[in-house]
Amino acid sequence: MLIELKDVNKTYNNGQPLHVLKGIDLSIDRGEFVSIMGASGSGKSTLLNILGILDNYDTGDYYIDGKLIKGLTESQAADYRNRMIGFIFQSFNLIGFKTAVENVELPLFYQGVSRHKRHELAMQYLDKLGLTAWAHHYPNEMSGGQKQRVAIARALITNPKILLADEPTGALDSKTSEEVMQLLSKLNREEGVTIIVVTHESGVANCTEKIVHIKDGIIGEIEDNRQHRSSMFGVNTIMK
Amino acid sequence: MKDIFSEIWASLRRNKLRTCLTGFAVSWGIFIVILLLGAGNGLMNSIQESREGVATNVMDVYGNWTSKPYAGMKEGRRILLDNRDVEVTGSDIFAEHIDKVVASVSTRARIAYGKNSINGTLTGNFPDRQEMERLEILHGRFVNDNDIAGKRKVVVLPENVANELLGILKEEEQELAGTAGGRKVAVESIVGKYVKFGDIPFRVVGICKTDYASGYNKCYAPFTAVQAIYVRSNRIDQLSFTFHGLPTEAANEAFEKEYRAVLNSHHNVAPNDSRAIRISNKFTQDMQMSKAQKALHYAFWFVGILTLLGGIVGVGNIMLITVKERTHEFGIRKAIGARPWSITKLILAESVAITAAFGYMGMLLGMIGCQVLDKTVGQAVMTVADQKIAILVNPLVGMGEAIEVTVVLIVAGTLAGLFPAHKAAKVRPIEALRAE
Repeated sequence: MLIELKDVNKTYNNGQPLHVLKGIDLSIDRGEFVSIMGASGSGKSTLLNILGILDNYDTGDYYIDGKLIKGLTESQAADYRNRMIGFIFQSFNLIGFKTAVENVELPLFYQGVSRHKRHELAMQYLDKLGLTAWAHHYPNEMSGGQKQRVAIARALITNPKILLADEPTGALDSKTSEEVMQLLSKLNREEGVTIIVVTHESGVANCTEKIVHIKDGIIGEIEDNRQHRSSMFGVNTIMK
Repeated sequence: MKDIFSEIWASLRRNKLRTCLTGFAVSWGIFIVILLLGAGNGLMNSIQESREGVATNVMDVYGNWTSKPYAGMKEGRRILLDNRDVEVTGSDIFAEHIDKVVASVSTRARIAYGKNSINGTLTGNFPDRQEMERLEILHGRFVNDNDIAGKRKVVVLPENVANELLGILKEEEQELAGTAGGRKVAVESIVGKYVKFGDIPFRVVGICKTDYASGYNKCYAPFTAVQAIYVRSNRIDQLSFTFHGLPTEAANEAFEKEYRAVLNSHHNVAPNDSRAIRISNKFTQDMQMSKAQKALHYAFWFVGILTLLGGIVGVGNIMLITVKERTHEFGIRKAIGARPWSITKLILAESVAITAAFGYMGMLLGMIGCQVLDKTVGQAVMTVADQKIAILVNPLVGMGEAIEVTVVLIVAGTLAGLFPAHKAAKVRPIEALRAE
C-alpha cells in the first residue's frame, strides 16, 4: 500500500476540545485515483492536512510508502512534502510576482537543483501541459484554467508519490473544471500518478475511480466508481 | 546567491516608496555617523598637530608654595628653585630614570632693533633645551657650550620676532598694504647683528621656527649670561629633565613622589608636601590626552549609533509589515517544501540588503560631507593671542572606519531582520490552504 492510515485521531484544543478525526483507517494503493468527499465540518480538510504532512495528528499511524510520518521536525516535514507530495490548491496558490516558469521551478529550488537544470525541467512540464507560450507570463495575466495547469505542473515537477488536490475545481467554471478533471484522470491513466482529490462536489468525485465518504470524522462508505455512475448528472459532467 | 538576490529585488521592487522612506532613515543615520567621525578625527588631528614637536619624556619642575607647616615654619611659604636642585636632580640618586637635566631662567624684556621694538621674554637656557623642545633652527645656530662657559651675550630669536624687528610684514599684511614684493629683506640678515633686551645688547646667533605654544615671543640666550645679568643669584625659574623607564601612570606617580621628597628636604619642606614643587609631566599628560582622544572617539560612535538606531527600528518595522503581507506566500512556499531556515534567510537577507545599500549611500554622502567640511571649516584658522589654531585638520574618515561602519551596518541589518524573520519562519504551511 502506498498510503496507510491506522486509527488516526485528531483533536483541536482551542478552548472547547473538538474531536475532528475519530479513528480513520484508510489505505490507498499506488496508481489509484481517489476522491474524499464530505460536507464542510466532516473532517475532510483536517484529513487532507494530515495526508499532506501540513499538520500533525494525535494518535495512530500514517505511512507513506512504508515510511512512518510521525513527530517530524519542521525541516523534515518540509523535505517530505517537497519530495513525496504534489499539491494542487483551490485558489491555485501561485506566487504572484513570479512568472509561470519560475513558479514551476520553485519546488526544485528547495531541493537545491541548479538554476539551469530546473529551468529546463520546468519548461518540459509546461510544454507537457500546453503552456510553453505562457511560460514567462505572470499569474494575473492568465485564465483560471491556465493557472491551475501551471499549478499542476508545479505539483508534478518533483515527481511526487502522491498528487493531493484540494477542491481543484473550486475556483473554476464548469467547462474548465471538466478540462482539469480530464487532465487529472489522463495523468492517472497514462502515467500512473496516484491522485487524491478532496471535494464536496459529487460531479468532481464522479470523475475519480474510488470515492471515500467521510462524515463526522469517520470514514463511511467507500464506493467503487470505475463505472463513473455516481453523479446523478451522468458521466463526465460537472454540474455547477 | 543569485536566487536570493532576485528574490530580494522582486520584493523590494513591489514596495518602492516604503523601502526608500525606510532606507532614508538608515542613510541619514550613517551620514551622521560618518560626519561625526570625520569631525572627531579633524579635532583630534588638530590637537595632535599642536602637540607635535614636543618631546613627551620630559618633566618640567617649578617652585611653588608649601601647603604644610614644617620645622617651625608655616604653610604658604614660597619655594624658589636654585642651582642646587639642578645638581640633585642630575646626581646618582635619580640616575636610574633621569637622563639630561637643564635649568632655565627668564625675564620679560623690551626687545629693540633700530627703530623697531617688541615685548618678549628672554630665557636663559642650556644647549640641551633645543632637543627637549624640538626647536627647529632656521638660520645660524642654537646656544652652545662655549656660550654657557663664557656667559656670552648671544641670543636665538624666533622667526616672528626677527621679522617684527626687521619690519618684515606678514604676507597677508603685505597684500593689504599693497606692497607685496616691494621691499625684500631676508630674515637671516639679522644674524650677527646686536639686538637690545632692555638696555643690554645681545648678538643674534640664530633664528628658530616660531612655536606659538611655547610662550610669548620667547628668545633663547645662554643660561649663565641671563642668570648673571638679570637674576644675580643662583635662583632658577624652571628645571626640566628627560627621563626613561617609567611606562605607566602609576610608575610616574611613584617616581614623582620620590623626587618631591628629595627636593622638599633640600628646601626644608615636609617630605609629603605635594604642593611645594609643581611638576608638569609631559609623558602622563600625553597619556591622558590619548585617553581623552579615545573617549571622544567612542562618544562620537555612541551618538552616531543612537542616530542609526532610529533607522534600524524603521527597517525592523517594515520587515514586520512585509512578513505580515507575505504570510500566505510563505505558507505556499512551506507547503511545497521550503524549510523554515530558507524563509528566515530570505527575510534576513532582505533586511541586510536594505540596510547595507542605503547605509552605503549614507556613507558616500557622509564622505562627501567630510570633504565639504575639509574645504570650509577645515581651512578656518582661529587666532588666539597671536597663536594660530586650526579648528579641524583633515576631518576625514579612513579605511578602518569605513570597514567598522560596514560591520555595524551588517550587524544592524541582521538585528533589524531577526524578529521579523523568526516570525516568518513560524508561518504554518496550512496558511497555504486558506483562500485569499
